[in-house]
Amino acid sequence: MLRMNKLAKTYFTDTVKTQALRPFDLEVKQGEFIAVVGPSGSGKTTFLNITGLLEDASGGEYWLDGVDVCTLSDKQKSRLRNEKIGFIFQSFNLIPELNIFDNVEMPLRYRRLSHAERKKRVEYALAQVGLHSRQTHYPSQLSGGQQQRVAIARALAGSPAFLLADEPTGNLDSKMADGVMSLLKEINAAGTTIIMVTHDLEQATQASRIVEVKDGVISEVDRHAQAIA
Amino acid sequence: MFIYYVKLACLSLWQTRSLSFLAILIIGVGISATMTTYTINYMMTKDPLPEKSDRVFLVRLNNWSPEAAYRNRAEEQPPTYISVQDTLNLIAQNKAKRHVPIAGFKEMLRLPDQNAIDAEVSMVRATSRDFFSTFDTPFLYGSSWPKSSDVSGEQVVVISKAMNEVLFSGENSVGRSLILGENQFTVVGVLNEWFLLPRFYGDSMRAFQAPRDIFVPFQTQVNLELWTSNLQSFECWKEPENATVSALWASECVWVFFWVELNSVDEKAEYLDFLDSYVKEQQALGRFQRPIVNQLQTGSEYLQERRAYSSDSEIAVWLAVCFLALCLLNAMSIIMTKFQGKTAEVALRRAVGASSLDLVQQYALETSIIGVIGGVLGLIMTHLCLYISSQLYTHLSKDIMSMNVELMLATVILSTVSSVLFGLFPIFRAIGVEPAKQLKSL
Repeated sequence: MLRMNKLAKTYFTDTVKTQALRPFDLEVKQGEFIAVVGPSGSGKTTFLNITGLLEDASGGEYWLDGVDVCTLSDKQKSRLRNEKIGFIFQSFNLIPELNIFDNVEMPLRYRRLSHAERKKRVEYALAQVGLHSRQTHYPSQLSGGQQQRVAIARALAGSPAFLLADEPTGNLDSKMADGVMSLLKEINAAGTTIIMVTHDLEQATQASRIVEVKDGVISEVDRHAQAIA
Repeated sequence: MFIYYVKLACLSLWQTRSLSFLAILIIGVGISATMTTYTINYMMTKDPLPEKSDRVFLVRLNNWSPEAAYRNRAEEQPPTYISVQDTLNLIAQNKAKRHVPIAGFKEMLRLPDQNAIDAEVSMVRATSRDFFSTFDTPFLYGSSWPKSSDVSGEQVVVISKAMNEVLFSGENSVGRSLILGENQFTVVGVLNEWFLLPRFYGDSMRAFQAPRDIFVPFQTQVNLELWTSNLQSFECWKEPENATVSALWASECVWVFFWVELNSVDEKAEYLDFLDSYVKEQQALGRFQRPIVNQLQTGSEYLQERRAYSSDSEIAVWLAVCFLALCLLNAMSIIMTKFQGKTAEVALRRAVGASSLDLVQQYALETSIIGVIGGVLGLIMTHLCLYISSQLYTHLSKDIMSMNVELMLATVILSTVSSVLFGLFPIFRAIGVEPAKQLKSL
């Protein structure tokens, strides 16, 4: 479903060449819940950005649902992102002047769905995160946990195959974080593949697989060995 | 998506209302300065008779002294006006479709039941009935005088709507009388609102002033020997035989502008041939002792030669266009500031699937709304500036300082198109951000 072969990312400035991600292989199957862990600056977010087609890799191959994304145009990538990928960010990234309905509806607008179809999907997504009654509220009227739920609803509205979450509980207190994690697990249980970057090892252990990024090197963590240790 | 973009644009305009207002104001000021000067220039130089300007000609005959060229010009050019006898001869020969002499006089005007003390000085245009058809004047009441009045010089008069308001309170005055000097005239027609800009048929110095309010047959002026020496230019290379008006009529003094309307532009050469043969006939009679350099000149050519079109107004337009460009650059920098605050939103929209084209459309719509509002504001300010100009320059026709529908539409279109064009740079800068770098800052 998602296959990366010898994928790498290098940043160039005038004088410095920085290898953000060394060549790595990774395969993610449908329905998996992958946690990406590692220290700050190790390349986790770069990995997530490349996975979400927000950044191009410097080399290697990346196949998403059978499509070689390295050969796609900007427009084709936008379309693929819209149809296959949902994003959840640490800082929620809701547009403050749009109400909850309009925020969640945003990806569907770019899919040119009918008004009735958009309404149905937005209401369903908001019901999934328990915020159906807050459609006309604005982000500033919600708590942090509720805002993150709205962001999850926005990611879910387009029924994506992948959910990419960049430290989704990073800005939440532990109670709200637990709520969001439970929600993500429910979504994963319903069949959506989730790749989540996190600092929190306890949250990482709730994933089906753990990938560690350290100094640009991506490696799979052997959970069995870890458990023994 | 269009309605969605409109909604987003309105939200964005409200969210950044101070910057948006500033951009709109700057565009409005630039548009206003450009369109005010352009309107004046356009109205001053537009073709007053677009359907026939290429077949209405001023007749110029080289009637001047055998000793020296007219005004001693190195390249011989005929005077712009002709003598009374040539005017009458050319009308009598009847070779053109229409013949329009432009003469006139000044007289005391009153109604028959008014005392002489109540009379007011009025400038009268003496011409032919062809004047009204050649220059397409609209009639409110009645019509032009009949051909017979031109031939016999009847005491009939056509007055303007404004004069009809003054004399007859706007009523249908056809058949009523008025007194010019000692002579009673009968009203045969009342013109409706009529403006010919530039008014090319007479003295070029007055091309941008309103037409006269009273029109009588040229033959009537001739018959009644109505002459006002200080009203119009007249030039004589040979003094009249005596000081009487009839001697002036019979003299070589030139002062009548004589226009002809031909059936088509193809007849121009034919009419010039006729003029040449006419002059040759007159030469045989001892007149026209200079080379034959007859000319037929269009109204535009005549006004250009007389330098009625000031190059200052054209320069002013270019300066105003430069000012508009400066205003648009300023507006562009404001729009850039506006859009800089949107980089995180742009990144988010890219992340959820918006293509570059989607974002260009969204933000171009926002800049076009700024342009439309700026255009409407510019239009209001242009009207205000034109009104102030018309109050300052009262000697010029108010029509120079008024916009027609085409100019109003052009104002809004210019504002919108230029705003979109100058907004493209900020738009491309805004959407050129790397989403990955911005998504943490929304």
